[in-house]
Amino acid sequence: MILKESQIMKIHYITGIAALFVVAVHIIMRLVMPFSMSLEYENVIANYQNIAYAVLLESILVLIAIHGFNGLRIILIEFRQNIAWENGVTVFTLVAMIALIAYGTRTIIVANGLG
Amino acid sequence: MKSSNEDRIYSDGNKRENREGLRAWLNPSRYGWERISYWLQRLTGVFLLIYFVGHVIETSSLVDGKDAWNAMLELTQTTWGHLFLILVIGTSTFHSANGIRLLFTETGRGLGKPGRPDYPYSPVSLNYRQKSGIWIALILAATAMLYGASILFAGE
Repeated sequence: MILKESQIMKIHYITGIAALFVVAVHIIMRLVMPFSMSLEYENVIANYQNIAYAVLLESILVLIAIHGFNGLRIILIEFRQNIAWENGVTVFTLVAMIALIAYGTRTIIVANGLG
Repeated sequence: MKSSNEDRIYSDGNKRENREGLRAWLNPSRYGWERISYWLQRLTGVFLLIYFVGHVIETSSLVDGKDAWNAMLELTQTTWGHLFLILVIGTSTFHSANGIRLLFTETGRGLGKPGRPDYPYSPVSLNYRQKSGIWIALILAATAMLYGASILFAGE
């Protein structure tokens, strides 16, 4: 299915606004205690083992990956317009987005299972 | 009468081709506040995407155990690491606040009403609401950077 640019822009704005909220929660989690203490291994693992927080991290990963790589696609298409370039940029950003989501999801799943 | 630039762009019949490309993007001779905001939105976006990819990679050291995690922290929890994070805080705040302004603009809010073009031909769309939105984004970014610095350098 091919989306229209207007639909893609709606997705871009929705992912941007949603990312704002989930990233705010992510930052607040770092500020509920002294910053250096919040980064201690045991504390970070405890965060990842909390299912709600793991879901939050996954949503940050998906939302920012979609928003970020679509933003990159928009910038690259502004530089140059022809069918081959536009298709190449779309494929590149889609593959990079999926690869980053897969890599980050692996970290969340493995860290969630650590004792 | 068409300018020579228009002739250059359209002479081959390919109206989708933007021949200026990156040069047009970086040309400072056509800068107003809105142009600077357009430029900053893209620069901060690309910077934040690079940071995000790096952040996903650095946090993956978690799965290699405590030693790998602490080795990564030794690299990032330094004065330069903190300064870099302050830059991330500033750029992400500007990108978010300016992004919200753009969202309003795209839905037609804050653009002003079309009217007869009178001297000195100031476009109603580039009004004080748009300019103050850009200033608010810059002020919020500076405030967030100061707050971030107070947190990050509190323990030093």
